[in-house]
Amino acid sequence: MSTGTDISTDAPDPTGTGGGAFGSEDWAGANANANANVDGDSAGDPYGRGHSPLRILRLYFRFLGTHFRGAMEYRADFWIMMVAAVLTQAVSVVVLTAIFRLIPELKDWTFWPIVIMFGMVTLGEGVGSLCFEGMWRVAWLINQGELDYMLVRPYPVLLQVTSSEIGLNGLGNITTGAAMLVLGILHSSIHWTVATVVVGLILLVSGVTVKVAISLATNSASFWVASPSPLFAMAVHQAGELTRYPLTLFPSPLRVTLTVAVPFAFIGFFPTDFLTGSHALWIALVTPAVAGYCLLMAVLIFRRGMLRYESTGS
Amino acid sequence: MSALVAAPQTGAVTPVGLRARSRPYRAIARATLRSVLAFRLQFALSLLSVLFQLVAMLTVWHALLSARSIPGFTWPQMEAYLLVGFSSGTLVSTMSDFRVSYRIRTGQVALDLVKPVDYQSARLAETAGSLVTELASICFVWAVMLAFGLRIALPPTPYLALFAVSFALIALLKFSVIYLTGLLCFWTKNYVGLQWCRLAVTSVLSGAVVPLSLLPHWLGTTAQWLPFAGMSSTPGLILIGDATGWYAVRLVAVQLAWAIALWLIARLAWRGALRQLTIHGG
Amino acid sequence: MAVIDARGLTKVFRQPDKKPGWAGSFKHVVSRTYQEKVAVDGIDLHIEPGEAVAYVGPNGAGKSTTVKLLCGILVPSAGEVRIDGLVPHEQRAAVARRIGVLFGQRTQLWWDLTVADSLATLREIYSVPETLYRSRLERFDEVLGLGDILPVTGRKLSLGQRVRADLAAALLHRPSVLYLDEPTIGLDVAVKERVRTFLRSLGDEGITVMLTSHDLQDIEDVCRRLVIIDAGRIIFDGDLAALKDEFAKDRVLRLETAGPIESAELAALLPTCEVTAGEHPRAVTVRFDRFTTAAGQIVSAVGTLAELTDFQVEEPSIEDVIRRVYAGELLAGAGADSDTAESDTAEPVTAGDVA
Repeated sequence: MSTGTDISTDAPDPTGTGGGAFGSEDWAGANANANANVDGDSAGDPYGRGHSPLRILRLYFRFLGTHFRGAMEYRADFWIMMVAAVLTQAVSVVVLTAIFRLIPELKDWTFWPIVIMFGMVTLGEGVGSLCFEGMWRVAWLINQGELDYMLVRPYPVLLQVTSSEIGLNGLGNITTGAAMLVLGILHSSIHWTVATVVVGLILLVSGVTVKVAISLATNSASFWVASPSPLFAMAVHQAGELTRYPLTLFPSPLRVTLTVAVPFAFIGFFPTDFLTGSHALWIALVTPAVAGYCLLMAVLIFRRGMLRYESTGS
Repeated sequence: MSALVAAPQTGAVTPVGLRARSRPYRAIARATLRSVLAFRLQFALSLLSVLFQLVAMLTVWHALLSARSIPGFTWPQMEAYLLVGFSSGTLVSTMSDFRVSYRIRTGQVALDLVKPVDYQSARLAETAGSLVTELASICFVWAVMLAFGLRIALPPTPYLALFAVSFALIALLKFSVIYLTGLLCFWTKNYVGLQWCRLAVTSVLSGAVVPLSLLPHWLGTTAQWLPFAGMSSTPGLILIGDATGWYAVRLVAVQLAWAIALWLIARLAWRGALRQLTIHGG
Repeated sequence: MAVIDARGLTKVFRQPDKKPGWAGSFKHVVSRTYQEKVAVDGIDLHIEPGEAVAYVGPNGAGKSTTVKLLCGILVPSAGEVRIDGLVPHEQRAAVARRIGVLFGQRTQLWWDLTVADSLATLREIYSVPETLYRSRLERFDEVLGLGDILPVTGRKLSLGQRVRADLAAALLHRPSVLYLDEPTIGLDVAVKERVRTFLRSLGDEGITVMLTSHDLQDIEDVCRRLVIIDAGRIIFDGDLAALKDEFAKDRVLRLETAGPIESAELAALLPTCEVTAGEHPRAVTVRFDRFTTAAGQIVSAVGTLAELTDFQVEEPSIEDVIRRVYAGELLAGAGADSDTAESDTAEPVTAGDVA
């Protein structure tokens, strides 16, 4: 046992009779092995992909799971979030119904296709909340300096951020979104072929990706604009809510913005347009491309933001 | 000369006279205004959010009204009505929600409690402080809309006065509703969910998005008697001339009654919340 | 080979020059001017495995910035740093496995999880094998009393519990280097003692400890080497004991006697000491260099003049020394030249020396 300030810097005690934190571990051996196993491909790897991709994914779900367990401890809160999500969606449906009690169609769009659009937008939001809610905390993490600890862990920082919280309302949104989607599809006479189904699924996944990507990109703005809450991301999110309604309603400048600058239109509008009407080939091809592009841009913006964090120290 | 009176036993000073008594609340209001101005960007962005909703509603209703006409809601009337809805959404919104719940969640409420001011009134004073910027932005948006061709046929003077009263009551009603929702934080840790529930319910029942008369009959009639109607529908209807005579007076009376009732309910709820805080430690 | 190796490490922060008010904000949007703040200015630091180094300096001196640079949280503006031969901001994962960090003011535990869950999660992140994990937890329980706090949720931890849990979290993967940034802030005396004992023991395991703290007792108890930084530059780097021997040579002996004592008479008997009168005629204070004069000599000297009834010894304190270093009174090397850009190791014992 070491005494006072008389610290010996001799070799570690291999017999384990010394006291201290790690006792009888063969420190040099154990550590070296551990490091060798996982370090193999980490040279020149700035963001910690020392783990294999499968392991990274497994860990990600594990993180989400622990937050989920933590959240479930508060039964009342859980149900409040679920009710809130369902209520919010229900309200938008009530509004839509009220509108359609007055008119049979809105600029060539009937009720049920719009419900499909609602469903897709809601689904995208739900997946974002359930699986990637953490990104809405970027502003807060920076503000509180919590990113520092993330930077010293051997796991990609972006994934640590997105998994840092789970949005239970996501469950509510996924359920209501799926319900709206299914009901909308059932009531719209869509001619289903294998191709349509496949394309439909691709469009759905692409749409969800676009939503998550835009949220990530806008939340990354917090790296440049300090604030305890992600106001820019929330403002852009509100803009996106416009796309629950057919894009054709809006004036040109707005349509262009929502298609090109922040491609919210590819979440619900274009996919629904494809399914219920036009079956336009360009939609089937462009949407996944847009999704990929948005995801890439979002990750790059986040990385750039991290770089800025590292040079300015928040 | 200070209108303060020293208490004989403790030496603590008690303010005397309205001016002196209101000083701490005025100070709170001023401080809030300063901090809101300091967060200019934040305010601008939250304003932008509400603006997007306005744009959505204007677009949808314009399309709707060009397809068919609805009695009592010509397009100019609808525009004005939706603008009142927008104004209502902007009032008492600047981080007021966040502030109320934040204080409770972080335990700052303990600090607030030791201040010699009435908790509820202090929170009201805070919202009053941010009202200045909110009103400024509302005026700005109205001005822009007018410049873009909005035409309002102003109702005759007595109704204009009634509108002014009704509009003023919006802030008080909103404050009470938000405050009451905030108090629920003493029982549940989760504020965001409560806020969303409140926003969902309010947006429909206040008529901000769809006029109450156009909702399914049972929903619309019930809504008229709830406090939310006073938050947008009542002033809106009066402004566009759809509520006249005793109907209008009745609507405002209901609005006023709710404003008072909610304030009192909040005081009761506060005592319950305090009990919760002291028993369970918040 | 040095486990922490920094050469010419520099960090410059560019802060936008923002004037207050609406005019200021507007101008800021139109044309930006920047102010440069040099937080860390050409630091050379070489720390060998197993050393316990105290990193001390006034507020704003650049301590936290240095630690962040050494962790890879900040990217250096100039110079280079290597941890175990690796560059932190380039090989983040590899370095992350070798270092453990504890920021005193923030916890790395998850707010909503129990300490046990947090540690289990960290175990997955660092790929700690099951058996090692269990034995380490047991060990932490023995030395830190971790077992009691395992079931407690993060947000409900008291400060003392939190620091102990954070220590376990930082060491769970058996890093080679442990950085501690103000770890004992706000802790009560009992917990501080426990933490210090624990930190002392780490050196035996070959774990390098770098500690920044304002609590000088922390430093004295745990560390052997002291590095002082001020305004971004290292102004002292050497053995703590040697520093005290060099600059804190004086002891003070306060004596009380049965009868009155003349300080001038005593001074005559003790020419090498500084003798001053006490608060009353029966008290006298003697300041002496403990290497040239023994306390016993003084006591005997006093005894010849009066009967000694009570005495008090004041040891040199590291606080005095450091305060004097800050004040520029004792600078290492030739003269009190506080503009020396390089780190000063002209002290009697350099860092690498082991007595």
